[in-house]
Amino acid sequence: MKVTISRFDPDTGEPPKFVEYDVSVKKAARVLNVLDAVRDTIDPGFAYRHCCRGGQCGSCAVRVNGEPVLACMQEAREGDVIEPLELPRIRDLVTDIAPVMAQIAWMNSGCDCTQVTQQEIEEIKPLRECIECYSCISSCPAISVSDYKGPTIMRQEQRLNLDPRDKGDRILEAIDKGLFSCTTCHKCVEVCPKEIETPRKAIEKLRAEAAKRGLSLPAHKALAALIEKTGRSVERKEPTFLERVADVIEPEGEVRATVGFFVGCMFNGRVIQPALDAMEVLRKNGIRVIVPKDQICCGSPLIRTGLSGFLPELQKRNIDAFVKAGVDTVLTICAGCGSTLKNDYDTPFRVVDITEYLCELGFKIPEKVEGTYTYHDPCHLLRGQGISEQPRILLDSVAEKFVEMPARCCGAGGGVKSGLPEQAAAIGAIRAEMVKETGADYIVTVCPFCEFHLHQVTGLPVKNIATLMLEGYRKQEK
Amino acid sequence: MGIENTKDCHVLVIGSGGAGIRAAVEAETFGETIIVSKTITGKGGCTVMAEGGFNAVLNEEDSIQTHFEDTMRGGAFLNDELLVQTLASEAPNRIRDLFSWGAVFDLKEDNTIAQRPFGGQRCARTCYAGDHTGHELVMTLLEKLRGSTVEIENEVTVLDLLSDDGKVNGAITCDREGELGVITADAVILATGGAGQVYDTTTNSTAGTGDGYALGYRAGAQLIDMEQVQFHPTGAVTPYDSRGRLITEAVRGEGGFLKNALGERFMTKYDPARMELSTRDVVARAIATEVLEGRGTEHGGVWLDVSHLPREHIEIRLPIMLNQFLQFGVDIRNEPMEVAPTAHHFMGGIKITPEAQTTVSHLYAAGEVTGGVHGGNRLGGNALADTQVFGKRAGIAAGKTERTERRLDMDQIRAAENKLASYYEGTAKSADIRRAMKTTMWNNVGIYRNELDLKVAEREIKKLQNTRLLIASPRELSDAVITENMLLVAQLVIEGALLRRESRGAHTRTDIKQSWTNETSPFGHTFFVKGKSGIEILEDRL
Ligand SMILES: Cc1cc2nc3c(=O)[nH]c(=O)nc-3n(C[C@H](O)[C@H](O)[C@H](O)COP(=O)(O)OP(=O)(O)OC[C@H]3O[C@@H](n4cnc5c(N)ncnc54)[C@H](O)[C@@H]3O)c2cc1C
Ligand code: SF4
Ligand code: SF4
Ligand code: FES
Repeated sequence: MKVTISRFDPDTGEPPKFVEYDVSVKKAARVLNVLDAVRDTIDPGFAYRHCCRGGQCGSCAVRVNGEPVLACMQEAREGDVIEPLELPRIRDLVTDIAPVMAQIAWMNSGCDCTQVTQQEIEEIKPLRECIECYSCISSCPAISVSDYKGPTIMRQEQRLNLDPRDKGDRILEAIDKGLFSCTTCHKCVEVCPKEIETPRKAIEKLRAEAAKRGLSLPAHKALAALIEKTGRSVERKEPTFLERVADVIEPEGEVRATVGFFVGCMFNGRVIQPALDAMEVLRKNGIRVIVPKDQICCGSPLIRTGLSGFLPELQKRNIDAFVKAGVDTVLTICAGCGSTLKNDYDTPFRVVDITEYLCELGFKIPEKVEGTYTYHDPCHLLRGQGISEQPRILLDSVAEKFVEMPARCCGAGGGVKSGLPEQAAAIGAIRAEMVKETGADYIVTVCPFCEFHLHQVTGLPVKNIATLMLEGYRKQEK
Repeated sequence: MGIENTKDCHVLVIGSGGAGIRAAVEAETFGETIIVSKTITGKGGCTVMAEGGFNAVLNEEDSIQTHFEDTMRGGAFLNDELLVQTLASEAPNRIRDLFSWGAVFDLKEDNTIAQRPFGGQRCARTCYAGDHTGHELVMTLLEKLRGSTVEIENEVTVLDLLSDDGKVNGAITCDREGELGVITADAVILATGGAGQVYDTTTNSTAGTGDGYALGYRAGAQLIDMEQVQFHPTGAVTPYDSRGRLITEAVRGEGGFLKNALGERFMTKYDPARMELSTRDVVARAIATEVLEGRGTEHGGVWLDVSHLPREHIEIRLPIMLNQFLQFGVDIRNEPMEVAPTAHHFMGGIKITPEAQTTVSHLYAAGEVTGGVHGGNRLGGNALADTQVFGKRAGIAAGKTERTERRLDMDQIRAAENKLASYYEGTAKSADIRRAMKTTMWNNVGIYRNELDLKVAEREIKKLQNTRLLIASPRELSDAVITENMLLVAQLVIEGALLRRESRGAHTRTDIKQSWTNETSPFGHTFFVKGKSGIEILEDRL
C-alpha cells in the first residue's frame, strides 16, 4: 500500500516534508498498522504515538487526508496522506500536547463528600467519555485566532460544573478560557471519536449559566433585549419581507406541493432580496407557499449565546403560527433557523431546507449562468442538518463552472460576529484565503449570516443559491 | 558521566496506570513526588482499557470473607492469603475514595453504587462505569493528580533502577529524543503493569511489555509465579491486525453461544452445567482444544454467536461490540463473531508484603507488576481493585521511607552508558527480535504446555538474547532496552512453566499427571531472584 506521510526532523532545521512509502499490510489494516509497518520495515526512527490499539486511550490521533482520526480505528486506504494534528509539532507525527493538557481543569473537591445522585451522574456521562485525543482542538476554527482554549477544555468545565462534588467556579473559569469565542460550528463534534456534543451540551449550557449571572457579553445582552422587545434580532430599517409578500404565494402552473415558509430575521429585515428570489424559485417549481405573518425570530441567537429566558415564548408562538396555517412541511432558507427548528424545537410538522426540498421533489433545470462559482458550506447546514450534497446538485445544474472548496467555518456564528467582531473577522480572513485559492468569481451559500460575513471579508459577490437559480430561470425565459 | 539531566525527589513513581497514579497522590502527602511514564500520563498501560469493573464488597448480602474465598478459589489457592485479605477488606474504601474525588461510576436509583455479577463470584460485587470502567478510573485519578503537586513526566522511559548499598535510590531514564537522565529518590515505586506483549496475540496495550519485572529483577527483587499468564477466552481473530482485541465477557453474559466449525455448542463437553458462563481458564482451554483437534474456523478460532438474541437486545446491551464489529464489516445481529484466546493478564510478578514492600529496600511495587494477589488465575474486576488498594499502600510505605543521603553509583551509570553505546554496533532490529519472540511464546508457551515445547522455547529465547540489538539513533534506545526486558520476561515465564510440574490456575501441563487438587498441591510459588529460580515445596503436604 502506498501512503504519503508528513515527516519532520527538528534537528535538521528543514521544514516538514511529505514522503511516500510503499509498505505491505494485511487486509483491513488500520492507519496505525501502516505506521507500524513504516517503522518496523523502513525507518525505526519514525515517531508517532500509540498505545491501546483500540480507540480507548486517545494517543494516536493524526490527520488523514486533512481530517483528524484515530489511527488505530481508521481503515487505511491506498493513497492516504497522513499528517500530525494541527498543534505545535515536535517530530514527525508527534505534537506538543502539554499546553493543552495544562488547560484541562481538575476536580476541586473541597470536602470529603461522596454525595452525588444518579441523575447527576447521568447528566455528566455524555461529557465524560473524552479520551483526550485533541482532535477537536486541532480542528476548532476559533483557537488559532483568539485566546480560546478549545472544545474539550469547555467540555471539562461543564463536566465539573455539573458535579456537586466540585467546589470551583467553573463559569468564571470558562469565561476566562474564552467561552464566548465558540462559533457553534460543530466541527469539534464531527471529528470527535466519541461524538461528544460539546457546543450543545457544554458551551451553550455554560453560556446560559453565565447569562443568569449577568455575565453575557454586552452585545449579546442588547440583542436579547431587542428580540424580547420586537420579536426580531434585526432592527426594522425598511419594509420587511413579511410586510411585502402575500399570505399565500401561488405557484406558476400546476400546484405540486404546499409548504409553510419560515423566513428568519436576517432575510426578513436585512438581506431581503434573496428571500424574495427564493419565493420566485418556489413558484417556478410548482410549490405553493403559505407565509404566516405572526412568525417571529426562531431564537437561535438566544440559544447560542445562552440568553434563552425568552425562548419558550418564541417556540410556542412560532409553532402555533404554522399549526394555525395548517401546513405539514415548513421550509427554511436560512441554515441557522433550519438547524434551530430541527434540533432545538419539538415541532408537529416537518422542517426542510430549501435545497433539501427541491432535490427531493425534483426541480426544473435552469439555464447555466456564466462565471466561476464556489460553494461555502454553512456550518449549520452541513453539520447542523447534515446537508451537503443537495446544494451542490443545484449548483451543478446552474453554474457554468463550479469549483469545490473544503468546508470551514467563516466565523460569523454563535454570536461571535456580534460579540467579538474582531475574532469573526480573523476567522473570516482564513476563509477568504481559501476562497481566493479556488479562483472563483462568486461565492454561493445558503445562510444569510455567512453571506453577509463572507462578503465583508472577501469583497467578492456572495449569492444565495436561490438568487442564482432564479438568474438561471430568467435567462431561460428570455 | 555523560548524563546531565538529573532530578531529585522523595518518591519516584514509575508508571501512571491505576496503581501508579494512586500511589503518587498518596506519596505526595509525604514529600516531593515525581511520576514518570513511557507514555502520556494516564493513557499508557492497560488500566484505561479495562471495561468490566472494580470489585468491592458494598452491601449486606456480601462479605469480605466471601470476596476473600472467591478470590482464593479463583486463584487456585496459589494466592498470598495476606494480600487477598488486604484486597478484600480495603477495596470498599478505595472505591469510596474515587467517589469523593469525582468518579462517574453508575449508580442505582437510590443513589447507591451499582454492582453487577462477574464470573467466579457469588455476589454482584463489580462496580462499573458502563463498559469503560478503566477509562473512568483513570479520568478520576487524573483529575486528582492534576490538582496535586506531583511532578508529571510524560514519555520518559525508565531503563534501569539505581541502588546504593542494597537500597534502591533512583532510576536511569530516557526521553522521547533519546536523552538520558537520572532521577534520584528516597524510595521508588514500580507500577509498570503487565507483559501481554511478549505474546503474539494479546489484549494488552503496546506499553504492556513487562519492563517492571525486568527492572525489579535486575535490581535484585524477587519475582514469583511468572508462569501464571491468563488467557482471555474471547479475543478477536480478524482482521489480522486486530487479533487479540478483547471481546468482553458481557457477550457471553448476555447469552452468546460458543460454537465450533461444525456448529456444535462444544461447551456441553467441558462444563455442561455452566456452559458459556464457565470461568475464563475453562472456556479458554475448551476453545483451544476445539481448534487443536481440528474443529476450529479457517482462521483458528471458534464462533461466538448472539444472532439468536432479539436485535434490540443486542443494540441496547452490547452497543460497543456491535459498533466495533460493524467497523470491520460484521453485523453481529446476523452473523457470529470469530473468537480465540488471547494473552490477557500476568498474575505473577514482583513479590510484595501487604505494605507493598518488595524484597529490596526502598523499592515498592503495586498493580499488575506484582505477584501473589491473584494466585493462578485472576477474577474479573479484581485487578482494578488491586491497583487502588496496593497503589495507596505503596504510596504510604514509600512516603514513610527514611530520607537518605544521595550517593550515585557511578560504576552502575557508566556500565549502563557503555551498554547503551554498544547498541550502535549490534546486528538485529528490535522489531524482528520481538516478532520472533512473540511467535515462540505463542506457539510454545501458550495455554497448553509441555516440557518439550518449553525447552524449544527456552533455547529460542536464549538465542534471541544472544543476538545483539542494533539501533541507528538515540531515539531507538528505549525500544532496544524494552526488547531486552521482554526477552527477560519471556525467559522467566518459561522457567516458571518448566518448574511448575503441575496444572494449576492458568498454567496447564499436558505432560504431567497429578494426584492432588489445587488445595492439596504440594507446590507453592515459583520464585526468581537474580540468577536463581525454584519452586516452594510445602513439606507438610508431601
Ligand atoms: C483490555 C483489558 C480489559 C481489562 N478489564 C479489566 C476489568 O474489567 N477489571 C479489572 O479489574 N481488570 C481488567 N483488566 C486488567 C487491568 O486493567 C490491569 O491489570 C490493571 O489496570 C493494571 O494497572 P497498572 O496500574 O498495574 O498498570 P497499567 O495500567 O498497565 O500501567 C502501566 C504504566 O506503566 C508505564 N510504564 C511501563 N513501563 C515503563 C517504563 N519502563 N518506564 C516508564 N513507564 C513505564 C506505562 O506507560 C503505564 O503508564 C483489563 C485488562 C485489559 C488489557
Ligand atoms: S463548535 Fe466550532 S468553534 Fe465551537 S468549540 Fe466546536 S469547533 Fe470550536
Ligand atoms: S472531546 Fe472528543 S475530540 Fe475532543 S479530545 Fe475529547 S475525545 Fe477527542
Ligand atoms: S492507540 Fe489508543 S486510541 Fe488509538
